[in-house]
Amino acid sequence: MKIDIINKYYKNKDVIVREIEGEYLMIPIASGIGDMEDEMYTLNETGIATWEKLSSEKTLETVIDELCEEYDANKQEITTDVIGLIEELFKRKIVLC
Amino acid sequence: MIENENIASVNLPDSDLVKKLQRTKTPVSINFELTARCNNNCRHCYINLPENNTDAESLELDINEIEDLADQAVNNGVLWCLLTGGEPLLRDDFSEIYLMLRRKGLLVSVFTNACLINETHVKLFKKYKPRELEVTVYGITEKTYEKVSGIKGSYKLFKNGLDRLLTNDIPVSLKAMAIHSNIHEIENIADFCSKHSKKKFKFDPFLHKRYDGDEKRNKKILSERLNKDEIVKIEQNNFARKNALIKSCDQLIFYQDIDASGRVFTCGVLKNGFEISYDGKLRLCPALLHPDYVYSLRIFSLMDAYRKIAENIIKARSYNEDFLNKCNKCKIINLCYFCPANSFLETGKLDTPIDTFCKNAHARQKAILEWKKSSSLS
Repeated sequence: MKIDIINKYYKNKDVIVREIEGEYLMIPIASGIGDMEDEMYTLNETGIATWEKLSSEKTLETVIDELCEEYDANKQEITTDVIGLIEELFKRKIVLC
Repeated sequence: MIENENIASVNLPDSDLVKKLQRTKTPVSINFELTARCNNNCRHCYINLPENNTDAESLELDINEIEDLADQAVNNGVLWCLLTGGEPLLRDDFSEIYLMLRRKGLLVSVFTNACLINETHVKLFKKYKPRELEVTVYGITEKTYEKVSGIKGSYKLFKNGLDRLLTNDIPVSLKAMAIHSNIHEIENIADFCSKHSKKKFKFDPFLHKRYDGDEKRNKKILSERLNKDEIVKIEQNNFARKNALIKSCDQLIFYQDIDASGRVFTCGVLKNGFEISYDGKLRLCPALLHPDYVYSLRIFSLMDAYRKIAENIIKARSYNEDFLNKCNKCKIINLCYFCPANSFLETGKLDTPIDTFCKNAHARQKAILEWKKSSSLS
């Protein structure tokens, strides 16, 4: 499914993100999330900033606007980055819509 | 395959994160002994109390205490968690505890005898797969199983429980204790385990003495222990075990005496996990029951108790000449069941050489060197 920024994407409650020693570890805890059982992921700074802003209350466009404001960065670059990340997370059911 | 630079998949055991955590020398795992009670009454068990033992039950950590300890562990970077017992599934709140720990991002494994597996557990484990589900196989005939478990009808319960797990595609690891009551069918047990689990079959011939010091039960345990020839024979007959011993020969048998300089603990105990007893005491090795190394978590925080135990471990020195001349410089110590914890369980002291362990280790050394020689010749 194509990612549309007018949609609201939210975190799957069966995915836990932990900060350990300055690294962000994403741990899917239920079957069917991620590529295979027990697979885990690490997020970089942009990844975690995006993850923390996701909510069923706001569109992806709002998330992008907030990131642009916070990081004072080019909107087109951030949009491409965020859509790419959400694509990966959505196809693994780590985020839902 | 992930095609975005903001996220990467990670294989945790090999990751830089785990290496970083291990360098900090604080434990990366926490093991909860949820209960000392068990539905079985195994002859060789170091801990089991009857399932209706209300005194033991009243001492067990409740779910709130477990959650508080788990929070402390998670805040210190702990990743792995093991639920064991006794039989952990005896707890009515097992499912709540399991899910609570998973929701904290802990990678939870469970050790069970499988007899109590019901549809609720199956549903839980199907949706929230444990990292490992290890089931002990005491025998593969009713007679042997129940001779070990001491409970009539337990074999049927075990088979039903295991079937439930397997028919629902819940992966299990199967393992066995090799003891006198089941030694006659240990090879069949190995075949059974390999047939029903993709994971490598493990067996252990070493039996701990009782944690509660029960002398009557200790006599039973001693009667179940294999002698040196029996241990060598089962290791020889198990292809994987024999090959692993040959392969790791250089780590198990040093070429010259070691120099432990009187240190009592040379076993890497500080790298073990946090071991939490059913009644809320911290140990850094489940068998290390000497009071200098056990702190109540109903009084101390997890890290305070850890630091106190670690300090005592680091400063422990032996002045026992017998120990200093034998175990403390022994080049086959890695083949021996001797360790301060076992020494304390066997003798009441941390640094007393144990003749039987010594004989077992030398017999194993001789056999492994012979196997290595024949394998290099062929």
